[in-house]
Amino acid sequence: MPVRRLIITLLIIAPLLALLAYGFTRDAKYIKSPLLAKPATPFNVMLYDGKKVTLEDFRGKAVFLNFWASWCEPCRAEAKDLEAAWQKVKDKDMIFLGVALQDLDDNAKAFLQEYQITYPNGRDEAGKIGVDYGTWGIPESFFIDPQGRITYKHVGGIRAALVLTKLEEAAKGIASAQEGRGDYQGVR
Amino acid sequence: MISLYFPFVLSLSKDSERVHRLGARLLVALLLSLLLVPPLRAATPADIDDRTREIATELRCVVCQNLSVADSPSEMAQQMRAIVREQVQAGKTRDEINAFFVSKYGDWVLLRPKTTGFSALLWILPYVALGLGFLAALWFIRRWTKKGTPTAIPENDNQAQRDALRQEFSLPDIEDDSERAQLLRGRERVREELNELEFDFQSGKLSESDYNALQREIEAKGVSLLQQLGALPLAPEVKPQVMKTKEAKNPAAHSRFKLWQMVSGGVFLMLFGLSLGVMLTKSIRPRQGEGDTMTGGFMTGTPAVSSEAGAALAEGKQAFERQEYPKAIEAFKKVLSADAGHPEAHSYMGFILMQAGHGDGAMLAFDKALARAPNFPMALWGKGMVLYQDKKDFPGARAIFERLLALVPPGEERNEIAKVLAEISASGGATQPVKNAAPATGQSISGTISIDAKLKAQLNGNAALFIIARPAGGAGGPPLAVKKIDKPSFPLQYTLSQENVMMQGTPFTGKINLTARLDKDGNPTTRGAGDMTGEYKKNPAEVGAKNADIVIDQLTQ
Repeated sequence: MPVRRLIITLLIIAPLLALLAYGFTRDAKYIKSPLLAKPATPFNVMLYDGKKVTLEDFRGKAVFLNFWASWCEPCRAEAKDLEAAWQKVKDKDMIFLGVALQDLDDNAKAFLQEYQITYPNGRDEAGKIGVDYGTWGIPESFFIDPQGRITYKHVGGIRAALVLTKLEEAAKGIASAQEGRGDYQGVR
Repeated sequence: MISLYFPFVLSLSKDSERVHRLGARLLVALLLSLLLVPPLRAATPADIDDRTREIATELRCVVCQNLSVADSPSEMAQQMRAIVREQVQAGKTRDEINAFFVSKYGDWVLLRPKTTGFSALLWILPYVALGLGFLAALWFIRRWTKKGTPTAIPENDNQAQRDALRQEFSLPDIEDDSERAQLLRGRERVREELNELEFDFQSGKLSESDYNALQREIEAKGVSLLQQLGALPLAPEVKPQVMKTKEAKNPAAHSRFKLWQMVSGGVFLMLFGLSLGVMLTKSIRPRQGEGDTMTGGFMTGTPAVSSEAGAALAEGKQAFERQEYPKAIEAFKKVLSADAGHPEAHSYMGFILMQAGHGDGAMLAFDKALARAPNFPMALWGKGMVLYQDKKDFPGARAIFERLLALVPPGEERNEIAKVLAEISASGGATQPVKNAAPATGQSISGTISIDAKLKAQLNGNAALFIIARPAGGAGGPPLAVKKIDKPSFPLQYTLSQENVMMQGTPFTGKINLTARLDKDGNPTTRGAGDMTGEYKKNPAEVGAKNADIVIDQLTQ
């Protein structure tokens, strides 16, 4: 009788414990993007220098697309790294494009000046690009291969080394199975 | 449709009566299906708003904690709402819109998980858990009640019955000198004596022979007492016990009674839990701001006040008081983006439009306010004034003011309404009320407006022309002056002067940028495909110029 009771108790408790343990291994804030290895949604961006660019303009090049805002601390943390990475690839068939979300023009321009960002940057006026790319936080970065397919997504601040690695992969059309997450490091 | 079914029906049976019957059934089914199809009609803005809200309620705001896109005041949610609205306007179904967001964010974005695949577990498991919980509760209650059931006393066993009854007896009251009480006290003394004897023997005060002799003596006394006690008739106090034993005679009835008690108890607990859960979730919400309460909706019927919308409304009112209309417009727009039918915001927008001389726009705004709150005094007042001053519809204005008069309590406002009503009655519709417009003094600008030959064919007969002057080098905001011309014919001579300025007191001077917009539906609050625009090619123009000609040559796609 006690053995039977013990087995029944274990049968009830064990799955619950397993579920709890599985829950601990998961990050509640992690959202698996359904966009990986899918075609990137086309968009138009009005750049801060007045020019207008579309994703189609970059067809045939590996694209690093970064969503940011001047009020976002992790964006500040990654800003210098992104510029450093851009300096290394700007002469190759690779493109960096920054898109500011939910930001004021003056603040965004001051941000670009403060970190001496030289790659093209513009704003997502209606917020549609952000939704099209399934963004839920800032910064978020996307790597798009020359055929216009998303190969990697990174949520949070990203380092120059990873940008270069993933950009090389994108250039070769290698898509990652999972998105990455950044560690936030405040710089101010 | 029936003709398609007919050969099939024929092949089913050669019996013509049966065929007729089937045919008739099919006809009835067809008519019923037609009746069930909602009547086709054009979606109104209110329909679109409702549909947008309905769909947005089921989508998760991706930057919030457990808030829907409909309820969140965040910018991200606003953008998502705009996309939902756009797709609703484009005629997309709920499933298509949901699928769009799922393709961007995954199933996570749906607040109502899918009922298929792995997500189906989320729908099934709570009911399974509820059922298991109910069964477990039933099992435990049964176990507890079994433990508590009194031991059945065998029938016709008087001795055992008496023994059991005796065990129930406690010492009688000290003042009770009945025979039973004396015997019971004697029995107690015998037990104490036996205990003491045992103690003395164990502690070595008594020899074994003495112990045995004394024990026999006391036991004999005890047996005699118990025999006397057993010979006595049963005491009235034992009646309930006897009833219990009677009840035990019919264990089936007893078990049925207990089961009924358990089931009703379980059902009550379940209903209580469910109603408590529903009540709590429906009636308590996080406070959105200082003006908001944590109860509402289901319990008190008070809608949630968004802190942002509340602040914007207050900001708009202050700006309106200070006659800073551009700021007020921005603030009221913010309120309306959070709550599309907000009657106060619509009313204020109406007053601003009225001030700017846009009677139609003002009317539309007041009507929107009244659609949400049919007796909203501010909107009634505004609508009455538009009808009276702008439309010259005196009977219409009188009807509105009379309705308002019935709503407003005695006081200054009521007197004011009565005064306007008297004014309308005195005029009898014969005299024209004086407009509050400023006299046309000071400088003006004039010219000719023409339309490009290519666009002329697409000209809408109901279009309204807006001639707009903005300060040159200004950073956006509302125009300096606007003139509206209904159903214009081109080429058209125009003059913009002081009387067309939007904000009273603003001088109509200096350099201005001149544009013209031909609004297809004549409604200044809506902009869309089919509207045509043009501008003065030498912008900026100097107020006072005479030949500021404008060519309408752009078509909004």
